[in-house]
Amino acid sequence: MAHQAHAYHMVDPSPWPLTGAVAALLMTSGLAIWFHFHSTTLMGLGMALLLLTMYQWWRDIIREGTFQGHHTPPVQKGLRYGMILFITSEVFFFLGFFWAFYHSSLAPTPELGGCWPPTGITPLDPFEVPLLNTAVLLASGVTVTWAHHSIMEGERKQAIQSLALTILLGFYFTFLQALEYYEAPFTIADGVYGSTFFVATGFHGLHVIIGSMFLAICLLRQIQYHFTSEHHFGFEAAAWYWHFVDVVWLFLYISIYWWGS
Amino acid sequence: MCPAFSLWVSWHVSMLTKEGDMAARLLLRSAFRAASTCRAAPVPALTRGMAAGGIPTDEEQATGLEKAIMKAMKEGADPYSMMKPKEYAGSKADPHLVPSITNKRIVGCVCEEDNTAVVWFWLHQGDAQRCPSCGSHYKLVAHQLPH
Repeated sequence: MAHQAHAYHMVDPSPWPLTGAVAALLMTSGLAIWFHFHSTTLMGLGMALLLLTMYQWWRDIIREGTFQGHHTPPVQKGLRYGMILFITSEVFFFLGFFWAFYHSSLAPTPELGGCWPPTGITPLDPFEVPLLNTAVLLASGVTVTWAHHSIMEGERKQAIQSLALTILLGFYFTFLQALEYYEAPFTIADGVYGSTFFVATGFHGLHVIIGSMFLAICLLRQIQYHFTSEHHFGFEAAAWYWHFVDVVWLFLYISIYWWGS
Repeated sequence: MCPAFSLWVSWHVSMLTKEGDMAARLLLRSAFRAASTCRAAPVPALTRGMAAGGIPTDEEQATGLEKAIMKAMKEGADPYSMMKPKEYAGSKADPHLVPSITNKRIVGCVCEEDNTAVVWFWLHQGDAQRCPSCGSHYKLVAHQLPH
C-alpha cells in the first residue's frame, strides 16, 4: 500500500532501459559490420536483445498497471500525453518522406524526362489493389471503433470479435501490399520514383505490421480480462496508432498512388 | 461454398503462383457448378451475450492505489492531493490550511499573482505562521493517508 502522499508512480529500478540502449548500440554497429564485413551476427544479436527488451519492459508495465494498480488518473494522463507525443513524432517522420516525394515530383528534372511519372516508369493503377487497400484500412478503422465501444459498453464477445476482425483486416492489407511489391514493374532502384515510392510505402507497411502487433497484444489482454469498461488505455493507445496508420495511408494513396500516376 | 467467396479466394491464389493460377481456374469452375446447389450460409445473429456483458468494471477489478483513489473520490475525499488546493483568504480568521503527513511542510508563497520570486519557508505544527513577505496566514493541518 502507499507510503507516498501523491498519486504518481515512482517506478522500481529496471534493467530494460539499459538493455534497450545496448540493443541500439549492437544494431547500429552491427549494421556497419554487415555492410563492411558481410556478417549479420552482431546485428542479429542486437535485434534479439531489442525484442527481449520490448517484451519484458511492456510486460512489466502491464504488471504495474493492471495487476498492481499503479496507473492512477494522473499516471494515465501522463501515458496519454506520451502516446500523443510519440505519434506526433511519427507524423513528422512521414512528413519528411512526403517532402522528398513532392520535391522530386512537382518539378521533375530533365534526367527524368521532365515529367512525372518519369519516363520509363509504369505506375500502379490506383483503382486496382491500392483502392482495395484503402477500403480495407478504412473498414479496419470502423471495426476498431466498434471494438472500443464494445469495451466501453461491457460487451466482451463483440469486443473480441471486432478486435480480431480489425487485426485480420490489417493482415489482409499487409498480404495485398506484399503481393503488390512482388508484382510491381519498378523497383526501389528505379530512380527517385522508386526511392520515394518504396521508402514511403515501405515504412508505412512496417507501421501497419507494428500496429497489428499492438492490436494483437490488446486482443490477448482483452481475452484475459485485463481491460475494464472504464480503464483500457492500452487499447486506446493501439487504436490511436491504428488510426494514425490509416491516415498516413490515405495521404500516401492520394499523393503517390493517385496524383503521382 | 458461395461463388463470391470462391472468386475472392481464387483471385488471391492465382496471384501467388503459376500452379496457383491453374488451381484457381479449377476452383472457379467447380464453384460455379456448385452454385446451383449452393445454399446461402446462415449468418449468425449478433446477440448481446450474457446480461452482464462479460467485461469487468473498475468497481470490480481496480486494485492498489488506483482502487484507493477511486474509493476516496467517490466519497469526495482527495487524500493524494490530485485536485487544486482549496482557496482561503489567508487572513487570521481564514488562514490557508496546509495538509501534512508529518509535523512540518515547506510552503511557497506567491504573494501576488505573476510574482516570479517565490517565498519559501517551513510551516510547523501549532499556531498559524505568516509569510515573511506578504503576511498571509498559514496553518498546518494533519493529513491522513488511507491505509
